[in-house]
Amino acid sequence: MRLLLDLRDVESHIDRRRLANEAEEHGLWGIVVTGPPGAECAEAAAVAALTDTVSILVDVDGNETHPTTLAEEIAVLDQISRRRTMIIFRGSPAARTKVADLLGGLPSDGFILSPPPAQASVPVYTPEDIPEAKLADNARQNAEVVDQHRDANSPFLIVSWNGPIKELARHLVGRAASPDFPQMIADLADQIDPID
Amino acid sequence: MLRRGVSRRERSLREQHCGMDMGIGLWCLQSTATNPRAFERAYQELTEDARLAENSGIHSLWLSEHHAYYDGYCPALLPAASAVLAATNQLQVGTGVLLLPLHQPDRVANAANILHTQSEGRFHLGTGMGYRPIEFAIKDQNISQRLQLMNAGLDTLQATVNTPIWVGVTSEKAAQRAGRRGLGLFISGAFSRDVVNALIAAHRTAWETSGSPGGTPPPVGLLRNLWIVDTEAERRKAVEWVRSSYLVYAGLGWGADNTGVDFAGQIESSMNGVEASATIGSAEEIAEELDGYDVELVVCRIGYDQPPRNAVTEVVERIGHELVPLVKELGATR
Repeated sequence: MRLLLDLRDVESHIDRRRLANEAEEHGLWGIVVTGPPGAECAEAAAVAALTDTVSILVDVDGNETHPTTLAEEIAVLDQISRRRTMIIFRGSPAARTKVADLLGGLPSDGFILSPPPAQASVPVYTPEDIPEAKLADNARQNAEVVDQHRDANSPFLIVSWNGPIKELARHLVGRAASPDFPQMIADLADQIDPID
Repeated sequence: MLRRGVSRRERSLREQHCGMDMGIGLWCLQSTATNPRAFERAYQELTEDARLAENSGIHSLWLSEHHAYYDGYCPALLPAASAVLAATNQLQVGTGVLLLPLHQPDRVANAANILHTQSEGRFHLGTGMGYRPIEFAIKDQNISQRLQLMNAGLDTLQATVNTPIWVGVTSEKAAQRAGRRGLGLFISGAFSRDVVNALIAAHRTAWETSGSPGGTPPPVGLLRNLWIVDTEAERRKAVEWVRSSYLVYAGLGWGADNTGVDFAGQIESSMNGVEASATIGSAEEIAEELDGYDVELVVCRIGYDQPPRNAVTEVVERIGHELVPLVKELGATR
């Protein structure tokens, strides 16, 4: 299971960009960003321009938006981010299908997206597809939350976290990846290299 | 000087020098039949070029939009502008132009305000009406309603957007509409000096007869085809680049009434007109030529795909290091 750091409620764009950089530096798989309707991909593009490897899950409002416009914005974002874009789509199933088709290279009403995304197809999820967890300042509880979602075979987990990103990475990224995570090593690392 | 809708920070920056600002454009992010390339490379080079322009002392970089064209002409300028603004610290970034009738104005306003705030006032929203039927069809819009859509969109933007707004025009009537609103004018690089001056006059007169909205005359931005060269051989090559850069507009079917520009119907004569109005020469010659225009911003149209990469980066540096100081000097003298 891969962890994505939730930045949707981080108010300052300076903090969002700093945290995105830290997430990348410490090996988190992805981050989640959004913005007011119409600004979601612009917000994601700014983060993409300042990072290299972290995946960018963009929470977009597709309710009142023309699907072609949304697909164009996402395709450009995927080019800017160099294949790191994923989408949470909030809107009707019909609109989601149209956006997903266009992003997958299929024509819709005779129109083919140009440019296409950089990926073969940008993953488009509903909000229900990816579970979310608000992590607390309790290591045992956090470990249980991650174990539960991992053992339920969820491919992704979006986490809200207010602590140091390195602590999240050290204790929960490996745990999310494997049921054999040796917690003892993370605990020893805390003694050898305390996280301030 | 930008005279309306500019932030205090930008005004302060602008007041540090005299004369017109020098930008570069139009970055379209295409992979054309004349020069196929990977889109990822194009977008990567966009931010590299922006940093180079910033380090060279250039005022702004401008992006351009089309939809559903085979070469991937950028259809979503706001994410692209956002990436450039995030990658730079001083450079201004503009859309030259965003085709407003093809977008939902409230969404554009939301994104423009985010870019304005996050970049501390470095974003310019240039808008235009669009002319390709297919672009209106894929957005479920009626092209015959484009003027009404444009006006409604500008109403929304003027009521909600904090960033400077410009209007790209191809006719005196459109220039007058922009002037009546007190909005900046953005003029194509393909037009002759006579057409440019007529558009500027129409814009200014309409602004004055409409009660001078905003209190100070709205700015004029002018695209110009130019290239700095040292030899006759370089000049001939640059002329060919400029001419062939308009092949894309033949494919897009662009033309404008009463301007001598019709890349759909009269491509050869239109290219001759473009060649005649292009300024290709030494930095001194170009500065003298530009000094004859009564505009606040010149966008050097160099962002096309025929020149090799090193020629583009070299001319960006030369514009910043050679042309910008000369233009400032001439402005100060005036």
